[in-house]
Amino acid sequence: MNGYTVLVVEDEQGIAGFMTAILKANEYKTLLAKNGAEALMYATSYCPDLIILDLGLPDMDGLDIIRSIRTWSQTPIIVVSARTHERDKVEALDLGADDYVTKPFGSSELLARVRTAFRHSALRNTSSGGDISMFRTGELTVDFAKRRAYIGDTDVGLTQNEFRIVSLLARYAGRVLTYDYMITNIWGPNVKGDNRILRVHMANIRRKIEKNPGAPEYIFTEAGVGYRMTEGDRS
Amino acid sequence: MALSVAAVALLKFVGQSGIDASDASMVFILGVMLTARFTNGYTCGIAAAILGVLLVNYIFTYPYFRFNFTLDGYPAAIACSLAVSIATSTLTTRIVRTDNIHAEAVAERMRANLLRAVSHDLRTPLTSILGATTAVIENDAALTSEERCALLQGARDDAEWLIRMVENLLSVTRIDPGDDPQLNREPEAAEELVSESVSKFRKRFPGREVEVSVPDNLVLVAADALLVEQVIINLLENAELHAKGATRISLSVRTEEDFAVFEVRDNGCGISRDLLLHIFDGSRTTFGGGYTSSGDSHRNMGIGLSVCHTIVRAHGGTMQAENCAEGGAMVSFTIPLWKEDGE
Repeated sequence: MNGYTVLVVEDEQGIAGFMTAILKANEYKTLLAKNGAEALMYATSYCPDLIILDLGLPDMDGLDIIRSIRTWSQTPIIVVSARTHERDKVEALDLGADDYVTKPFGSSELLARVRTAFRHSALRNTSSGGDISMFRTGELTVDFAKRRAYIGDTDVGLTQNEFRIVSLLARYAGRVLTYDYMITNIWGPNVKGDNRILRVHMANIRRKIEKNPGAPEYIFTEAGVGYRMTEGDRS
Repeated sequence: MALSVAAVALLKFVGQSGIDASDASMVFILGVMLTARFTNGYTCGIAAAILGVLLVNYIFTYPYFRFNFTLDGYPAAIACSLAVSIATSTLTTRIVRTDNIHAEAVAERMRANLLRAVSHDLRTPLTSILGATTAVIENDAALTSEERCALLQGARDDAEWLIRMVENLLSVTRIDPGDDPQLNREPEAAEELVSESVSKFRKRFPGREVEVSVPDNLVLVAADALLVEQVIINLLENAELHAKGATRISLSVRTEEDFAVFEVRDNGCGISRDLLLHIFDGSRTTFGGGYTSSGDSHRNMGIGLSVCHTIVRAHGGTMQAENCAEGGAMVSFTIPLWKEDGE
């Protein structure tokens, strides 16, 4: 056992069974809540290390559960959403959920999300926190102190805003960042809702850091949600 | 209503040019007919008829520009023209309705085709999943671990295929062909649609490389990202599953006037002539697998392609399939470029 406890909130037995089975096989302890009321009760009484939350619950709105938990805890939350609730997952991320998987998903995808979430919460809890000076993935190096990004040894020459976008994604590498979150972070709250400006910047960044902008290696698009940078090493 | 106003205006014009009453009544019947043809139903036609009779009375019969229903034999004339014009209106209205019924019948037939194809397509993988899992549960002790694995892998492949099928059907239900389609259009970068589709495709077919090329400048299209990605994924999967002998698949984007053109090519066996004719209407699903009609698998492409076509058309684009001169098949579709309003 690795000692982590995962709370699975899922009302459909088949899916709950398969999720707990693969989590147990990977040495996580699991708790299962079948509805929102149980979820809140378990979250407060067992203080799990991670919560996997299905947004479509019989008794309450999954988004309300996120709101409620976020008032007192930073426990990572991974949202499970069905395709019919596309907008819900964006809202869930903006409310403070850490990541999402869309039904149908495979076990490897779920486990990858769980590992990423644990890594981020571990980083958050250490004293150095998000204070990293360097990020590396593949050929790409992001130097936070010098505010530069390199492919191999070559400075790719990002502009101010482009660097801010790349460093934001690198800081949260492995996690999806929503359009609104990124725009608010770079340009402030007044530009919110205009995704075009972000698209244009991303296109420029892609041409500077990717070999083929049509087949990127570092920054991936998640349609209708946002962008995600591949996992890498921080130092 | 605009048309009936036009008809009245025409009558006025005729009146001014001094044509006598009998010609005028012909014109007025024509007006009634046109009104009934291009409006929806009896009401407008009959209204135009009554209006016409009154106008003829007012303008073309003595005393001019005054109503007078007391002329000799006039009630019969009125009744007669009214009857003729109402009959005309009824007839033309009926033509309109027949047209509508015909269009509905076509849509209904397409839906029935799709449903039949879907039910057929769902049954096969479901049967194999049921069979495989039952075999594992009931013969657990007798099976070697490789056998068990093979059975479960088969079940997993079928389940994955079912999921893709259901995703396609979900997309179709979101697009109602008659009304304004429920598209969630945003300015999307064509290269992002392409790269995300390719990475989803690679998850399903890890061994297969796709050659991707996008324009040097950013191309923004007005698209519902998830739906357009689904079109691209469907085309890539068709090339992977049906283009027998294909060693390479390529995907490219270019712009042509107000459209972005997405193109998927392979160097496989090509599409049979027979299939090319009906490739997007979903009616050839019973051909089974393959661009050729060899029918060796239940993974046919008919539904996928007719879904693609529906999605592309809902975006205001077009779709084409052909065989390349140098061998292999090429399927392309267009999506309108994003236009900023008011700029």
